[in-house]
Amino acid sequence: MKTQKHLLWAFLLVVQLAWAQNKASDVVSFTLKNGMKIMVLEDHSIPNANMYLFWKVGSRNEYPGITGLSHFFEHMMFNGSKKYGPKMFDRTMEAAGGSNNAYTTENLTVYSDWFPISAIETIFDLEADRIADLALDPKMIESERGVVLSERSTGLENSNFRNISEQVKGAAFLAHPYRWSVIGYESDIKNWSLEDLQDYFDTYYAPNNAVVVISGDVDVAQIKKLAIKYFEPIVSKAIPRAIHTEEPEQTGQKRVTVEKQVSTPNIMLAYHVPETKHEDYYALDLLSAILSEGNSSRFYSQLVDQTLLATSAFSYMPESIDPNLFYLYAVASPEVAPEILEKEMVQVIETIAQMGVTEKELQKVKNQKLVALYNSLETIDGKSNTLGTYELYFGDYKKMFEAPAAYEKVTTDDIKRVAQKYFNKKNSTVGYLIAPENNIK
Amino acid sequence: MKNLTIKKITAALLWLFIGVQSTMAQDNFKLPAHTKVTYVNGLTVYFVVQKEVPLVHFRAVFPAGVRYDNQAKAGLASLTADALSTGTKRYTKAQIEETLDFIGASISNGASTESASLAATFVNKDQDQVLPILAEMITQPVFPADEFEKMSQRAIASIDQMRESPRSVINNYFNAMVYKDHPYANIASGTKNSLESIAASDLNEFYRAHYTPRGTVMAVVGDFNLLAMKQAIENLFVSWENNTPPPTPAISIKAPTEAKVVIVNKQDARETTMLIGGIGVARNTEDFIAIQVINTILGGRFTSMLNDELRVNSGLTYGARSSFNALKEGGTFNMSTFTANESTKETIALALKTYQKIFDGAVDEKTLTSAKNYVKGQFPPDYETNAAIARFYTDAFIYGIPMNYIDNFSATVDGLTVKKAKVIIERYFPKDHLQMVFIGKASLIQPLVNEYGSVKVFEITQDVYQ
Repeated sequence: MKTQKHLLWAFLLVVQLAWAQNKASDVVSFTLKNGMKIMVLEDHSIPNANMYLFWKVGSRNEYPGITGLSHFFEHMMFNGSKKYGPKMFDRTMEAAGGSNNAYTTENLTVYSDWFPISAIETIFDLEADRIADLALDPKMIESERGVVLSERSTGLENSNFRNISEQVKGAAFLAHPYRWSVIGYESDIKNWSLEDLQDYFDTYYAPNNAVVVISGDVDVAQIKKLAIKYFEPIVSKAIPRAIHTEEPEQTGQKRVTVEKQVSTPNIMLAYHVPETKHEDYYALDLLSAILSEGNSSRFYSQLVDQTLLATSAFSYMPESIDPNLFYLYAVASPEVAPEILEKEMVQVIETIAQMGVTEKELQKVKNQKLVALYNSLETIDGKSNTLGTYELYFGDYKKMFEAPAAYEKVTTDDIKRVAQKYFNKKNSTVGYLIAPENNIK
Repeated sequence: MKNLTIKKITAALLWLFIGVQSTMAQDNFKLPAHTKVTYVNGLTVYFVVQKEVPLVHFRAVFPAGVRYDNQAKAGLASLTADALSTGTKRYTKAQIEETLDFIGASISNGASTESASLAATFVNKDQDQVLPILAEMITQPVFPADEFEKMSQRAIASIDQMRESPRSVINNYFNAMVYKDHPYANIASGTKNSLESIAASDLNEFYRAHYTPRGTVMAVVGDFNLLAMKQAIENLFVSWENNTPPPTPAISIKAPTEAKVVIVNKQDARETTMLIGGIGVARNTEDFIAIQVINTILGGRFTSMLNDELRVNSGLTYGARSSFNALKEGGTFNMSTFTANESTKETIALALKTYQKIFDGAVDEKTLTSAKNYVKGQFPPDYETNAAIARFYTDAFIYGIPMNYIDNFSATVDGLTVKKAKVIIERYFPKDHLQMVFIGKASLIQPLVNEYGSVKVFEITQDVYQ
């Protein structure tokens, strides 16, 4: 009876969400003659709009010698093109009331512009100029090297996660380019050349290698007109060669230790899991929520609240084009040896693999997923970013609208099955971040 | 990432970019209408109906911030605010968490310098389930001893953990330097010693003194029936009784009379993290908007003078910025950046040289126009969510921001001239006796900064700030 009540509740929530949120048919999608795909979602709640440009290039497209180049390239896209020279991209945009930022991941490079609707044509002009005619200036490259070295250093200085994840990735992956961090190796940042950058631009910055999402106080017809005027003349290029390296199956547990002045150990466990398009994605994503979403989650209640072994704990599974890692992370309480905390973390996941989870627990995380999706659609920024994410990682923006149903299909047996399938010792990499004085053995 | 988002860095302390737009469509952008109710016990509540999504955001702000801590029990305000969710008369911590998690409701509670807050977002149909829990957390917390013990242990551990990141402690050193004896210098986390001396009964006492309906403000924003919501809030809070808070001695915030430097030694530092500044302004200063526009030019956007010089022109850092952190009785101003150990000297000199330029006429017509457009153009998304609207109303109440602030904003921004900008700069941007904090390798930094003021050195692992 209890189960039925939960199902009914979920049904009501789905109905309610469907009532208020946008429908798939509200998104207008079209492809320009040069292959650039554009999606538009009108939302007139504020007199602003945004433009997100998703490029299918990230650190997975790099190789030793140019690690970090995708991210560095992201920076260079702001440093001058044919019409708008160095500094003029930002100056022009900000003077028109707009702002921008960008981020690079293992899979994608994403640029975003946020602007009052009065600036829409300026934004198209600025973006078209740098996509068509980026002008790599040797002087700007040199000063940007300093900026990126500082970005790398400040991340390592301030984030324990950054320190340990670099090493865990490097150990977990033997062959696949996910083995290096997005920011790249210091020596590569210092040494890549203008030619490397030009090659990258010529290979990946083609309109047919991008997806553009625009949300806000726009008119679809006007966007089509602007897209045809500014983006369509940009010449398409050959599709970049696919990444064919597959990570061989892991043959036994791997362990790494990083010494750093920390007051208590930080522990990261990483397990190989499939890519986002894989059928197990939704079950794994719900498993992650069961482990660490909210204080009633397994990790918080067992590691932090009951045993007091950790002061904080979380799990994380990035969206990914190729098979990637599912991370478990915990920061030890004072006087707790890393081995003890590691054992308890493994115990939490093994308990799920053996005993499964309750119907109520599963329904809870399904409910949380729905509200989270809903929250992300509260802003025009969230709309563009989420639509783009689904288009790129799930293969179709419409999958965003189908996500509630996809989560709803997952059963407690699925959760148990994926816990058994992926969370075993042979498939794991363990990282310890500990103070040097605690590493004398 | 191209640059760290400013929102992330300065978080809740200030609103950097507030503006309204000047074109036709943008002039129509207004905050939705509100209903304000003051109940007999003095509690003030703002209701704003927003039908766009079937969610409700509830926010309560109490006059129970870190400023009310005393030295011996520093950290008490934060522990009390955090402990509101550890159990009430009718609900245990586990019951609260299980109930709210199951319906996807999220809550957050904690203390900032000026006040403490409890906020929640939930689906509107769960209103009758969520509101009674929130009301109990606010009016009938019990601070169970076992939960307190666990929370206290975590808080003590976090003292050393936060000292692993310069960015998470640098403001504490700066505030201690600038605010000196004023309670705004209080450190939210306390020290290990002060935390050891706090018992669960202290939380109860602090709660009774500072969590009272008079002085508390709530905002409920979202998709709900106004009459029913007003009734529900009244039913839940009307019997909440007032206590008399202890008097707080008036202490003024004085501008420093001497340039001072604090160096915090971090033995394994890769870089030097720095803050340079002084006294700022109170949040309700009538020139606040003008100050924000000028600060946008100095260090509040990507093309700002500081970021342009230190990042774009010289590649010394990933980012440089400036900000005013404005509270009720006053505030601070600072410039912040970080750079590799070996470029520390060059970076400090260039930051100071760039700062000097605003006093030497760098704010010209073209730059000012661009900043005005920027501030106005970036405004509407700041008020797009229920939570942001709720925060506006509670901030307005706490800090004494006039309600016509939003309506007059566009005109105020537009009215700023180069001539007036000059007056604003002279009046509000600290020129002399700058206060500086550097976290990095002390042996390397000390010889470089003696010229900037009297120097005091701490170890980052030392559990003190002044």
